[in-house]
Amino acid sequence: MTAVSDPQSVSALAAEATDNRVNLDFETEGMTLNMGPQHPATHGTLRIIAKLDGEQVISAEPVCGYMHRGYEKLTEVRTYPQINALINRIDWLGSFANEVPFILAAEKLMGVEAPPRAQWIRTILFEMSRIANISLFLGDFGLQLGGMTAGFYAFRDREWVLNQIESATGGRFHPNFDRIGGLKDDLPKGWIESSHLAMARLLAFCDEMEDLLIGNEIFQARTRGIGVIPAEVGLSYGLSGANLRASGVDWDLRRDSCPPGLVYDKADWKVWTHPDGDCFARTWVRLQETREAAKIVTQLLDTIPSGPVMAKVPRIIKVPEGEAYVATENPLGEMGYYVVSKGDLVPFRVKIRSASFNNISIVPWVARGAYVPDLISILGSLYFILGDIDR
Amino acid sequence: MGLVEKGKLPKPLAKLLNVSRKYSIWAYQWGLACCAIEMGAAFASPRYDVMRLGVIPFPASPRQADLVVIAGTVTDKLAPAVVRLYEQMPDPKYVISMGSCANCGGPYWDSYSVTKGVDQLIPVDVYVPGCPPRPEALLEGIILLQERIAHEDMSQRWKGEASVVG
Amino acid sequence: MSSAETETAEIEVAADEVREAVLAELKARLGDGVVDSHIRAGDDLWVRVHRDHWLDTAQAARAMGYRFFDFISAIDWLPSPFGRDMDAQEDLVVDPPAPKEPVPMTTGYAGGDTRFQVLARLYSVTHGMGITFKADLPDDDLSIATWSAVFAGANWHEREAREMFGITFVGHPNPINMYLPTDFVGHPLRKDFPLLSRRVRPWPGIVDVEPLPGGAAEEEEEES
Repeated sequence: MTAVSDPQSVSALAAEATDNRVNLDFETEGMTLNMGPQHPATHGTLRIIAKLDGEQVISAEPVCGYMHRGYEKLTEVRTYPQINALINRIDWLGSFANEVPFILAAEKLMGVEAPPRAQWIRTILFEMSRIANISLFLGDFGLQLGGMTAGFYAFRDREWVLNQIESATGGRFHPNFDRIGGLKDDLPKGWIESSHLAMARLLAFCDEMEDLLIGNEIFQARTRGIGVIPAEVGLSYGLSGANLRASGVDWDLRRDSCPPGLVYDKADWKVWTHPDGDCFARTWVRLQETREAAKIVTQLLDTIPSGPVMAKVPRIIKVPEGEAYVATENPLGEMGYYVVSKGDLVPFRVKIRSASFNNISIVPWVARGAYVPDLISILGSLYFILGDIDR
Repeated sequence: MGLVEKGKLPKPLAKLLNVSRKYSIWAYQWGLACCAIEMGAAFASPRYDVMRLGVIPFPASPRQADLVVIAGTVTDKLAPAVVRLYEQMPDPKYVISMGSCANCGGPYWDSYSVTKGVDQLIPVDVYVPGCPPRPEALLEGIILLQERIAHEDMSQRWKGEASVVG
Repeated sequence: MSSAETETAEIEVAADEVREAVLAELKARLGDGVVDSHIRAGDDLWVRVHRDHWLDTAQAARAMGYRFFDFISAIDWLPSPFGRDMDAQEDLVVDPPAPKEPVPMTTGYAGGDTRFQVLARLYSVTHGMGITFKADLPDDDLSIATWSAVFAGANWHEREAREMFGITFVGHPNPINMYLPTDFVGHPLRKDFPLLSRRVRPWPGIVDVEPLPGGAAEEEEEES
């Protein structure tokens, strides 16, 4: 896909070297480092068992399951509105974005389409939850690399977006606002103006982050050339979202495979890619995506059509028999729900395809030959949410 | 001086010790799930600043912490780690259970892998309900805990007797 | 208006043609491995393959450009014997509901007739389309070839499917538990694995649903 750049070849050589080392009896040398389920550098309860040789990682095996709550079993005993209230806790930062693919799958099976105003507001809230999610990533990544200032700014400026989501939906996160056929409520008065203000602040925040992080030479030394993922490897692991775009693959579900129900084609925006595939590329792509999301929201806010926000659906929802898979470009990557329905109040089986599960499955491959501080960079830049991995 | 063990702590001294303890809590954040973000907003955000209450949220390890805020869902796989964390903390120690998952299992009450409440593993002092509780709710929980500490009898705690909060 | 209708009909037919072409190419590569298929026009393609051709399917799809690995999971088609368990076991003893006749087992799109079905999905970044593959597993031999040599991401997904359903993936390099503690007994996502909390206590949110004024005809009791 892209020409192999120098950082890519260097990191590939390091990985091969460690592979060869593994073929000797490495059990007698090196130590096992357990980055336990509770660690400041893991976004939650992820455990990494790293076998080290000096400072270099020979193998890094993530152990998941410390936040496994059994979502797929729980969806088999809950009605569709009840599931909607539960699934926005999967990716707990990109709150509204979790509900949308599930609702779209149910709407596809029912043959219901949300009215245009609802579609507009859905897309706006989707992009706002993307901003809420990735702004925390930018701050948190700086925090993990040692720059605490970025974390404080992120929490402060994120409040703007959370206030907007809260005034529209009632919840800072876990909004439970999407309904099959539309939305729960219409927007409050004055929301559009205050959202414009919030987006202006967010763009200023992005500029601040660019100053603090991207231009910082320590940040660049710690992220350039680290954790290079070639595009083919990324595709075969199912890496998605900004991780894949940072490896040069020009693919975005919002533009290429947008499910009916979201109106990304009504705004003028672009997809950002980066050829390098290292930690810096992933951070850079996410920063640009946040800017782009703010621009999408500003454009859509100006063109919201008037009308109802809810289509005519029966009060007790029974989804007709069938199967549907809908995936959307969530802040973390591609999140999809494979809904199997037998015509009941509850779905028969819901398979949740979460982005972080695939994103983290690449860690054993990418961490070979990295140094321990680089492992932190790699984990941080791949950006996962534990609820998304463990469901 | 051995005043606490012998139970002969004079009241003004007890009050002074309690006041100084309640305004210098070092809180270890055991942030597990979504509540961890609200806890982060309460602890690190300039709006819901927790340091104005005297709570410093940056101990490097549980061995230096007074308070642990368990925020998020506790699963059966993680339960031994929670118990080990609690045992690593030195006395006097306090536990705030934040969020409905830590209180009682929450929205995952029927799951096969979730511990129905962290009080099945460790004793809890304050329960903060909510899903997730707003940062102000967590701050209120911390204030309640501070009131509890202010009325505490240290010699009772030392002897391991159950404390009754009037 | 009629031109718009013919346009949509043409678009639908066109999408059909693309997916029909994909299906035809799969059949050409796999021969009699393709057992059944289902196309929803403009939306998705389901292909059920024979279990022995599972690995060939991966290689064929990969060669056709479907290189993005979405997921591997499984479906247990047995209708659940427990239902939603909205009543506690003690209440059922006191006040048993009328016994329901057993629901027959039906399988979904391109469905087979066994209880367990492996489900996989691949996507093509270049074509912008995905294919959902299914394969039946006979009840006495829940095993199938592994895809982890072809798609590296299948490693973790197959580990999860193994612990949740009890399906063996032959040739998997590291079949240890993904999510559950090592001493967990049972396979949770099977339909005959009960959620014990629901059997012991009723769902805490049961309320008496009173009919709305004037809307009594639409009301249905929302209990099991």
